[in-house]
Amino acid sequence: MTAIDISGVTKRYGTELALDGLDLTVESGEIYGFLGPNGAGKSTTINLVLDFIRPTRGDVRVFDLDVRSDSLEIRNRTGILPEGATLYDRLTGRQHVEFAIESKAADDDPDELLERVGIADAAGKKAGGYSKGMAQRLMLATALVGEPDLLILDEPSTGLDPNGAREMREIIREENARGATIFFSSHVLGQVEAVCDRVGILRDGHLIAEDTIDGLRNSMPTQTRLRVTLDRIPDDSATALEAIESIDGVSSVEPEGRTLVVACEDRAKTTVLRRIEDHGVSVEDFETDDSSLEDLFVAYTSNSAGSAGVIQ
Amino acid sequence: MSAITVAKKDFRDAIRSRVLIGLTVLFALFTVGGAALASWLSELSDDASAQSTIELVLTLQAPAGFLVPIIALIVGYGAIAGERESGSLKFLLGLPHRRRDVVLGKVLGRTGVVAVSIFVGFTIGLLGLFAFVGSVSLTDYVAFTAVTILFGLVYVAIGVGLSAMTRSTTRAAVGALSVVILFKVLWGTAGTILLYVIEGAFLVESPPDWYLVYNAISPDAAYGSAIGAVLSRSDPTLASAYDISSLPLVAEPWFGFVILAIWAAVPIGLGLWRFDYVDL
Repeated sequence: MTAIDISGVTKRYGTELALDGLDLTVESGEIYGFLGPNGAGKSTTINLVLDFIRPTRGDVRVFDLDVRSDSLEIRNRTGILPEGATLYDRLTGRQHVEFAIESKAADDDPDELLERVGIADAAGKKAGGYSKGMAQRLMLATALVGEPDLLILDEPSTGLDPNGAREMREIIREENARGATIFFSSHVLGQVEAVCDRVGILRDGHLIAEDTIDGLRNSMPTQTRLRVTLDRIPDDSATALEAIESIDGVSSVEPEGRTLVVACEDRAKTTVLRRIEDHGVSVEDFETDDSSLEDLFVAYTSNSAGSAGVIQ
Repeated sequence: MSAITVAKKDFRDAIRSRVLIGLTVLFALFTVGGAALASWLSELSDDASAQSTIELVLTLQAPAGFLVPIIALIVGYGAIAGERESGSLKFLLGLPHRRRDVVLGKVLGRTGVVAVSIFVGFTIGLLGLFAFVGSVSLTDYVAFTAVTILFGLVYVAIGVGLSAMTRSTTRAAVGALSVVILFKVLWGTAGTILLYVIEGAFLVESPPDWYLVYNAISPDAAYGSAIGAVLSRSDPTLASAYDISSLPLVAEPWFGFVILAIWAAVPIGLGLWRFDYVDL
């Protein structure tokens, strides 16, 4: 059983190509993390699944139903937290949840749901006075109405503090344990890594990788994070940074005072050190970390020459 | 019923708008003013007993005919474009509602809001009539209120229809303003000019049928016809302006209801059609 099936979907806005022949499948019962930098086409994809926009070409199906003609049945079985959605300023939190319950013909207790997302004490307050984080929690409460088979969450951690983001992940896990399929997007890898069964990475309207977290890690050439401490900052530091970034196999370079943090493939390590010394500074110290997923993500999604080979 | 759920929620939301409260107060002032004027006129005529209650009720038609379209358009124009602009439409459509449920629900919900405004305004007007004049036929009053609410529905439909056709509230507002100018200013002027061009005179003794039809098909004229039909009076209708024995069908008072229905259905239909395929 597939929960979401996107096949050959192209979406064009005027001359701009937002999605280019996207294929993506979310299996029933899994937690699928949809990753990509801002502007990669994540929200476009989700808006297509929600039938907020229509594809230029291709086919989008949810529960093997057509998103357009069967939108009511899909909605009845789906909880949605859309990106950029706002609430009704003049209605209270409880009224929002009651409206969702009535709309879905469900029999949930609004206060229980508000309690679950941690805003029970603001239930009687108008949503216009809610903070961003509270609004996000309220939206989540409405998404949970009626024990949906599928939860579609677009950047669910927006506006949440680390504690709130953790609670969000807990709810995602609980819902999945109950049997719900979860499809959620993020541009922050840390949130996806912790809960996802599978991850898809979108860049420039293409799915450039799709695998389990471990699978992704294994598919990468061994990544290293080099921390190189220099005796001083080179005079032509901008040129130096550029020179290092252009080395084949390097995906990112971050200066931190006299220390350079370089994410690169193992094979590029010596070249990096040599190139640094070409700029008239000496390396006082260097250490290497294991590849972190963050580097992996950067390698996948950055535009540097070094990552191009990785993607294939 | 999904549209009803949307309508109820929308009513609860929109009824709390401060603008609406302001407009309702203004409307009440107009109706009280109308009542005061009516009592003053009846004293002038020095024959207060001859003043039928229907005539008094009709003194409220002018303020209603003027303000109800404005209130309804103000209440309606932001209904969908505003939600699109703010993003709450994504919340609404994320729940099991089709786009057409949203359009129809908005028309119903906002009509409810306008109906409350009319009801409050007329109730205060009625109290004014009681105070100034003494007695008024309640049946006539209720019939008059009902037709006025129908009139409000027509303009809500026009406002919501415009709102469904654009993603910008500014454009919807410009559209609403154009509708006001069209029916309050341009329609009549254009008719007079047409009359001059075709008949060669601004005033004719017995106007041609096309002119009667033309003058009967604006929503404002249809409102007058419909009131004339329910109150069995000719005063508010077009026919009263001329001494004509047989009117073309379209200009018959009862036909006002048909015209009102068309004016409600066309903008809703266009809004539904456009809103259904557009990218949000």
